[in-house]
Amino acid sequence: MIALTGTPVLETERLVLRAPGPADWPQWLAYFGTERSRYSGGPLAADRAWRAFCHHLGHWVMRGYGSFAVTLKGGADAIGLVGPYHPIDWPEPEIGWALWNPMHQGKGLAFEAATASLDFVFRTLRWRTVVSYIDPTNLRSVALARRLGAMPDPVAPRPHPDDLVFRHRNPLGAA
Amino acid sequence: MIALTGTPVLHTARLTLRVPDLRDWEAFAAFLTSDRAALVGGPVTRERAWRSFGHLVGHWVLRGYGMFAVALSGTEAGIGMAGPWFPESWPEQEIGWSMWSAETEGKGYAFEAAEAARTYAFAALGWPTAVSYIDPANTRSIALARRLGAVQDPAAAHPGDAPCLVFRHPRPEALA
Repeated sequence: MIALTGTPVLETERLVLRAPGPADWPQWLAYFGTERSRYSGGPLAADRAWRAFCHHLGHWVMRGYGSFAVTLKGGADAIGLVGPYHPIDWPEPEIGWALWNPMHQGKGLAFEAATASLDFVFRTLRWRTVVSYIDPTNLRSVALARRLGAMPDPVAPRPHPDDLVFRHRNPLGAA
Repeated sequence: MIALTGTPVLHTARLTLRVPDLRDWEAFAAFLTSDRAALVGGPVTRERAWRSFGHLVGHWVLRGYGMFAVALSGTEAGIGMAGPWFPESWPEQEIGWSMWSAETEGKGYAFEAAEAARTYAFAALGWPTAVSYIDPANTRSIALARRLGAVQDPAAAHPGDAPCLVFRHPRPEALA
């Protein structure tokens, strides 16, 4: 059986975070068919959405880490993608987050998933620092970054000139 | 260890075909960012090449098959790729190939790799038919398709809006 193996699984109070897989494709495609995906580079036609999804899978193999598909405990379907992400052209790795459906918004689920991802990169991957790149018009994400304790880093390089850079706190102390 | 596992390895007289991994990245990126990639939708920036490489790997996860990196047996880094390929929205399943540098051309490697990939698609994956999509200006690939016994199928659909020739391979039973 051909599969991505050896990938970590993170558990929070209400969520399970795992590597994305073929079963998540329908939800991913549906998300990129909506305006909601505008902060993730969407909306995208199916062929582009496919390549973007494959890129996330390949990222796990190439980097040894990647973004997690987020599932509700007891539910198999992914509801979003959250976690470490570092395409080759980006100045440094980030923690990204997107919940794919408005029905999961406003419940603290993105906060819960992002907190688990931060814990993972600091304690397991032993990163010293990590940022989140956020479109300034994405007010929900800006609020989430602040709630996570991240601070704006106005001098850090960014993939796109309009992005805001929020730098997360390292709970282990090193910055 | 995080890895793509359970993937096949094919051996030909001179080549080993295996799933692409980081050993192949630099040669792949050099290819896709060079003028040599003009006939396969390039050249692209290194950033886009990275995403394309991710696509190669992710395709394996989603489809259970994909492009093989082609390495000279006994060596590590890939010199090209060949394999069954079927991204979302393509009209049908393809056998694709490319050699990543001019030095490895003209030695029959692409033929050897493509033939092994096609045999795999028919015998292991059970494909009933396969095409190859080729830029009309890609004379080397057209010659290779013909050498593989493929013939133009002008009625078949192709991906994208750019001019593209569709070569249909002989059916599995004709090759058996």
